[in-house]
Amino acid sequence: MDAIATDGLTKHFGSRWPSLRRRPGPPPIRALDDLTITVRAGEIFGFLGPNGAGKSTAIRLLLGFLHPTAGTARLFGLDVATAGATLRGRIGYLPGGIALYDSLTGTQLLDYLAAFYARPPILRADLVERLELSARDLGRPIRDYSRGMRQKIGIVQALQHDPELTILDEPSEGLDPLMQRAFYAILDERRAAGRTVFFSSHVLSEVERVCDRVAIIRTGRLVALERVGALLAHRRRQVEARLDAPAPRLAAALVALPGVSSLEARDDRLAFGFDGDVRPLLRLLEGVPLADLTIEPARLEDAFLELYDEPAP
Amino acid sequence: MSGNLFRRTWAAQRGRLLLVMIALAIWGFLLPVVYATFGNEMGALARSPAFANVFDVMSRFTGGDVFSISGTVALGLVHPIALALVAIPVIGFAAGAVAGERQRGTLEVLLARPLERRVVYGTLLAATLLFAALAEVAVLAGILAGAVLFGVAADLRAADLALCWLNGVALFGALGAVALAASVSFDRSAPAMGIALGVTIVGYAINFLGTLWPSAAWLLPISPFRYFEPTRILAGAFDPLDLLVLGAIFAVAVGWAEWIFPRRDLAAPS
Repeated sequence: MDAIATDGLTKHFGSRWPSLRRRPGPPPIRALDDLTITVRAGEIFGFLGPNGAGKSTAIRLLLGFLHPTAGTARLFGLDVATAGATLRGRIGYLPGGIALYDSLTGTQLLDYLAAFYARPPILRADLVERLELSARDLGRPIRDYSRGMRQKIGIVQALQHDPELTILDEPSEGLDPLMQRAFYAILDERRAAGRTVFFSSHVLSEVERVCDRVAIIRTGRLVALERVGALLAHRRRQVEARLDAPAPRLAAALVALPGVSSLEARDDRLAFGFDGDVRPLLRLLEGVPLADLTIEPARLEDAFLELYDEPAP
Repeated sequence: MSGNLFRRTWAAQRGRLLLVMIALAIWGFLLPVVYATFGNEMGALARSPAFANVFDVMSRFTGGDVFSISGTVALGLVHPIALALVAIPVIGFAAGAVAGERQRGTLEVLLARPLERRVVYGTLLAATLLFAALAEVAVLAGILAGAVLFGVAADLRAADLALCWLNGVALFGALGAVALAASVSFDRSAPAMGIALGVTIVGYAINFLGTLWPSAAWLLPISPFRYFEPTRILAGAFDPLDLLVLGAIFAVAVGWAEWIFPRRDLAAPS
């Protein structure tokens, strides 16, 4: 069963009723338009888009904070609109820029939030240790916490009850590189345990590092939904070849090869962009007096930027 | 209702509530002391032709006096000082209960738990009623303690005091429900607090004007304070209509909140 399935999920903000004023009011804001995605149980799913693209709106619709203008959102086969509270018992959620009850200590906060669930907080001790929250830290009021510590306690509260689905909004914000690494290891273990993670992020390298599949949205519309590997395979890699001896016909042959673009030939150096299957390129280079060959892997960042360079849908 | 949320609400509010209850108890305690010490002299003064009119206006304004023990009890409950003190933990709490959490961004942390919004609302409403009940208990306990210690409790009837308490809880329950209904309707505390205080202050002002100024008496029925009548209760003339009207205000406020809160969109805090 899919952990998340949305069908034509749409959210427009703005007045639902005609304005009584003579001049028409501002048009409704189309925060999310016709989002149809499925997230399989046991995968880590990245949700990408710049600020204002509709990521938080989608997450809020999944949690039942917002009511859809059209379409449906189902978690574990149940409609969010009718089974919201039941479903939230199976979910852990880390809001972006989490606000916490400042007067409570870390332990009091975790106890308070855990007590709402039927599941005991069986992962807390392990998470606290791996995110290096000491007993002394947890005994201090949250108002004294740094941004990074707030984020760590936010991660612990989202995961401590071993939820089947975890929804994380910008989870590594404020974490130092060591803590980011510890956090990625935790996510890998969630996947290994068959749990599902849905997270939005601006940090494309982290999405590339941990996610199985990604969805990219732009101005509220889905523009890509693929496995990370497949998305990168379609994208342009940068190739640079240095030659021991001139190969006068090579440049022309490269231009004719499908997938080659932006070819620059200078003395013994050829540089070009390449997308698609790499094997025809390697066959072409057989027998060419190569001194060095560099193929830079495609990066999610490039894929993301390419999708955003295309005209709006 | 969520026991966990209720305990957390209680823990967060009990300090302020305790301070207000102490202040109310001291206030209540002082009034029988004043009555026991100066009541006869003040009564004589009030009956003298020179001051009768002034005292009559004053007692109509406050709804109580210090010439009789029943007037003293009524004064303890309806005086603006007592009303303002009770309003702090009841209306102040209710107006900020949801809108304040929304403004601080903690509401989404709470609503991400397996809780229906109606359960959150019901729990906060129960807390509001409890705070109103305890605040009214504090002032009556102070009055009773003062009356017993100074030997003026013989004329007080327990049933009348219980009705006064119920009438006070009904008034502040209704005002608290209005404040909570405003709180679930807004994303920020200021408009919710504005509406709650507006209803309370305007209601009190109308009662004040209507009581003192005969030409404005027609306004009295629209003030919730018109239906808080400890003076009549202690005179043995309890009117159940008071509780019915305050109950109706409560019901309308609860109905609105139950309708709007589950249907509201809670967009990302800006």
